[in-house]
Amino acid sequence: MKNIVIAGYKRTPFTLAKKGGLAKVRPDDLAVAAVQALLKQTGIAGEAVEDLVLGCAFPEGEQGFNMARLVALLAGLPQSVGGVTVNRFCGSSMQAIHQAAGAILLGAGEAFICAGVESMTRIPMTGFNPMPNPRLARQLPSAYMSMGETAENLARQYQIPRSEQEQFALTSQQRATGAQAAGKLADEITEVAGVGSDGCIRPETTLAALAQLQPAFDEHGSVTAGTASPLTDGAAAVLVCSEAFAQSSGLEMLARIRSIAISGCAPEIMGIGPVISSRKALQRAGLQMRDIDIIELNEAFAAQSIACMRELELAIDRVNIDGGAIAFGHPLGASGARITGKAAALLRREGKQFALATQCIGGGQGIATVLEAV
Amino acid sequence: MAISSVAVIGAGVMGAGIAAHIANAGIPVVLLDIVAEGAENRSAIAAAAVVKLLKQQPAPLMHPRNAGLITTGNIEDDLQLVADCDWIIEAVIERLEIKQSLYRHIDRVRKPGSIVSSNTSSIPLRDLVAGLPEHFAEDFLITHFFNPPRYMRLLELVGGEHTRAEAQAAVRDFADRSLGKGVVKCKDTPGFIANRIGIYWIQVAVAEAMALGLTVEEADAVVGKPMGIPKTGVFGLSDLVGLDLLPHLMESMLMRLPESDPLRDRAAIPALIGKMIADGYIGRKGKGGFYRLNRAGGGKVKESIDLVSGEYRRSEEARLESLSAARSGGLQALLRHPDKGGEYARRVLTQVLGYTASLVPEIADDIPAVDEAMRLGYGWQFGPFELIGQVGSDWLTGQLRAASVAVPELLERVGGGTFYRVTAGRLQYLASDGHYRDQVRPEGVLLLADIKRSGEAVAYNGSASLWDIGDGVLCLEFHTKMNALDPEVLAMIRQAIEIVPRQHKALVIYNEGSNFSVGANLGLLLFMANIAAWDLIGEKVEEGQQTYRALKYAPFPVVGAPAGMALGGSCECLLHCDAIQAHSETYMGLVEAAVGVIPAWGGCKELLQRWMVNRRRPGGPMPPIIKCFETISTATVSRSAAEAREYLFLRPEDGITMNRDRLLTDAKARALALAEHYRPPEFEAMRLPGATARVAMDMAIKSFRLAGKATAHDEVVALALAGVLSGGDTDITEALSEEEMLALERDAFLPLVKTTQTLDRLEHMLETGKPLRN
Repeated sequence: MKNIVIAGYKRTPFTLAKKGGLAKVRPDDLAVAAVQALLKQTGIAGEAVEDLVLGCAFPEGEQGFNMARLVALLAGLPQSVGGVTVNRFCGSSMQAIHQAAGAILLGAGEAFICAGVESMTRIPMTGFNPMPNPRLARQLPSAYMSMGETAENLARQYQIPRSEQEQFALTSQQRATGAQAAGKLADEITEVAGVGSDGCIRPETTLAALAQLQPAFDEHGSVTAGTASPLTDGAAAVLVCSEAFAQSSGLEMLARIRSIAISGCAPEIMGIGPVISSRKALQRAGLQMRDIDIIELNEAFAAQSIACMRELELAIDRVNIDGGAIAFGHPLGASGARITGKAAALLRREGKQFALATQCIGGGQGIATVLEAV
Repeated sequence: MAISSVAVIGAGVMGAGIAAHIANAGIPVVLLDIVAEGAENRSAIAAAAVVKLLKQQPAPLMHPRNAGLITTGNIEDDLQLVADCDWIIEAVIERLEIKQSLYRHIDRVRKPGSIVSSNTSSIPLRDLVAGLPEHFAEDFLITHFFNPPRYMRLLELVGGEHTRAEAQAAVRDFADRSLGKGVVKCKDTPGFIANRIGIYWIQVAVAEAMALGLTVEEADAVVGKPMGIPKTGVFGLSDLVGLDLLPHLMESMLMRLPESDPLRDRAAIPALIGKMIADGYIGRKGKGGFYRLNRAGGGKVKESIDLVSGEYRRSEEARLESLSAARSGGLQALLRHPDKGGEYARRVLTQVLGYTASLVPEIADDIPAVDEAMRLGYGWQFGPFELIGQVGSDWLTGQLRAASVAVPELLERVGGGTFYRVTAGRLQYLASDGHYRDQVRPEGVLLLADIKRSGEAVAYNGSASLWDIGDGVLCLEFHTKMNALDPEVLAMIRQAIEIVPRQHKALVIYNEGSNFSVGANLGLLLFMANIAAWDLIGEKVEEGQQTYRALKYAPFPVVGAPAGMALGGSCECLLHCDAIQAHSETYMGLVEAAVGVIPAWGGCKELLQRWMVNRRRPGGPMPPIIKCFETISTATVSRSAAEAREYLFLRPEDGITMNRDRLLTDAKARALALAEHYRPPEFEAMRLPGATARVAMDMAIKSFRLAGKATAHDEVVALALAGVLSGGDTDITEALSEEEMLALERDAFLPLVKTTQTLDRLEHMLETGKPLRN
């Protein structure tokens, strides 16, 4: 079987929706910035790219048409390169990586740009035209449930006190602040529209300040804006190719893709999605959780992350060591490429063997990727 | 000359507020202050002032984007920014040498013919220009704004002996038309008009309340409503202005008042006030004043200070027999009453009105200027000379004689007569020469009050009238309590639809109440509901729908001209007009949800259609529905006409008039312009998504409810609204007629009125004027 590798990872800064420095940048332009930075970093010839696979959770408005094709054209890729926009909500750009891996295995190409983008400023969450199916809304209301509510459900089901969620959020903020201060993020970020660094991180976060916040989704609940990932603008891109191609092209390989998985779960506890998908991916890789050194678990909510960590018996020291989405933000379509690219880069940086990147997905799904050092 | 760019120097409360209001007029404005010592940004003071403008309440800016018209800087680095300005307003600290030094700097950079004015409240113009070049004095005047500049309509204008007439005219015209000010020409005397009288009034009213042993609540109740003065009265007003300002104002007045001026005898600041200031109880901007909200223990208790002990106690409603008498018998009954409230009213009015009568022509050429200044600068419903007309000049003269106070010459001259009279339909006032003269309005000002004096209504009933405002235009006026809409108002609209085409070209809907209308008469609705007259309610809803619909498709143009609140049913009325010409201070909203119902006189349909045809909205079937759902379900009211555009209560082509007194003129002009080749609008059939949209809104409201942002009944009302806005059981492939949309409104309205929660909301609103969150 062919080996498939991640041979490059770049992203734009992540900034707060509406208030941040990227609010006025169109999402397709954000994606172009990430793709161009990736091309520059890797030095890959555009002609060698088979397809641009672009994840986006609300592909309408400025994220509409077939945005991937338009981004390819805007980025100056040759017209011979294809473009496909994929949507698996928060898992969209990890799905882009999985699709590329599958295509390479089938012999349907050697090199793919797998990117993701979301401007949560310019296209609201749920889109401009939310039009649920009344029949499903009646039969299974949770299919359309708000994400905040699903986090509350997990907090209740797993009896995760608010203080524990806040401690988790504080850790995320502290790690992100530390990583930023130590210049550990500089390699992955490319400047866009004069914005050169992440804008969502709150270095001033304290437990006392977090404790002051009102519940955001359920007045009697425990999830606040401080323990949820903020609405964010940003894009990320990774280069996925066969190991043979990487070697012949002299590309720097970050990690090999060992296994992938998708799973479904009850929509009302969608945040638990990573548990089954991670187990499936590990089993396919022939690994145990204890074998995994680096874990990137997308922090949609602290409650959801904690529930997954309990189920998977994960200690915090292996998880999101540079901070997670509560600090960086979660531009839906872009997060999968970010955490997969990040996990690959961390394997290399930390000199470790195995990594897992996993996310929960609205509507009740999980997605996971197991990586190994090259 | 026309003024098209302005600079304000001094970014304190007044300077920043003036700059904000100039930006409200759409005019670019430079705002400078001194260099911020030690700050990285040398213009930090002016920049901070703009940040504060965006947070302040009541908002100085009519729309946040107006802040973008303000360019900030400091006077050392950026004074050249004033070089291009037509009008430079100085609003710096009240120190002559600082002002004069600034003027010299300004004079070096300003362009020839530009106008410089001071916002001083206390320094005479002759002192300000003393020693300055003559060409500067020619371009210089005093423009005294009142705080807050957006909301207080008075602008006192003082020209010096050298001031060019064109400079005065240019400022007057700009302030009138662009800033919406009532410009009152004053003489160069201490406190000009409004503060000269206002400060005397405060001093007398405070001292007499203490002398007679009234509580602050009693005093404010007596000098408030019965005298047509805002209910803050005198103590509440002092809290609002800031007690700490009183000694400063008094000091500057005393420096320049004539030796014999009666204010000198009333100049003492009571010991209690001195102590309050020293302790930081300077009013609303401090720890509290004569009143405070005590939040101790998490509560919110309104307290008043005891004028004798100086201790706070729980506020109580004033209960004086004289106040009860005033409620039925008005000011006269109050003045005749023997209790201490009556005595207080007599003492205050005798002294204040007597003093005012002694000041003409010292402070102003004629009495209308004095009345206008007190109406616009202190919010009095009647000016002092109008009040004399109410109490009787004989009575006032008698009171003064009894107190051995010299009767002012003006009062002697009017004898037992009145300062104002109506002759042949024209309002006249007693001029300084002893003759009655017509009160002439500024060019382009058309007041319905003047028209009403001069003739009969074209049609009249107890709730509304139709007036001929000339040039083929009729004006429909509401005149119920708070201009609430009742069946008679609707009848008058239908009558207008019959009358206008006979001999007229167009209709304007306008009135001169403090509010255009608070909406449908809820008392009537509650009454019908209480007797379970459901069929009747259904008929009334349909009657309103058909009346507004007939207005919309009438063969002549209709222009709505709101000012102040235009809520509920009256907002729906405006949404059916061909055009709206709104006063800049228009507070519009479909607020029905606050009383547990939905707009059902065509309001849902009209707002939805406005959003559907709006070209700037995002595409697809949901955005118009979502916008209307947000706006109506939360009973959103615009905080200005500019903001009403955001909600599409105003269309992009609708007009905004800054000066309240020019609203009717502008509305009439708009109506006449529309009358050329007029064709009634056509209804564009609506394609709505039906159930799927309702489900989307249902989900949204449930999330709000879960998060504690909506109540149980909010959810019920919002679901009914969602039913209308989604188009009911329609499908996106089908087109809904106007009649079908109206039927949806009716079908959603009636079940809501039958709920006890809606009845509770109606009752609560009628009793307290506030919405019930049940």
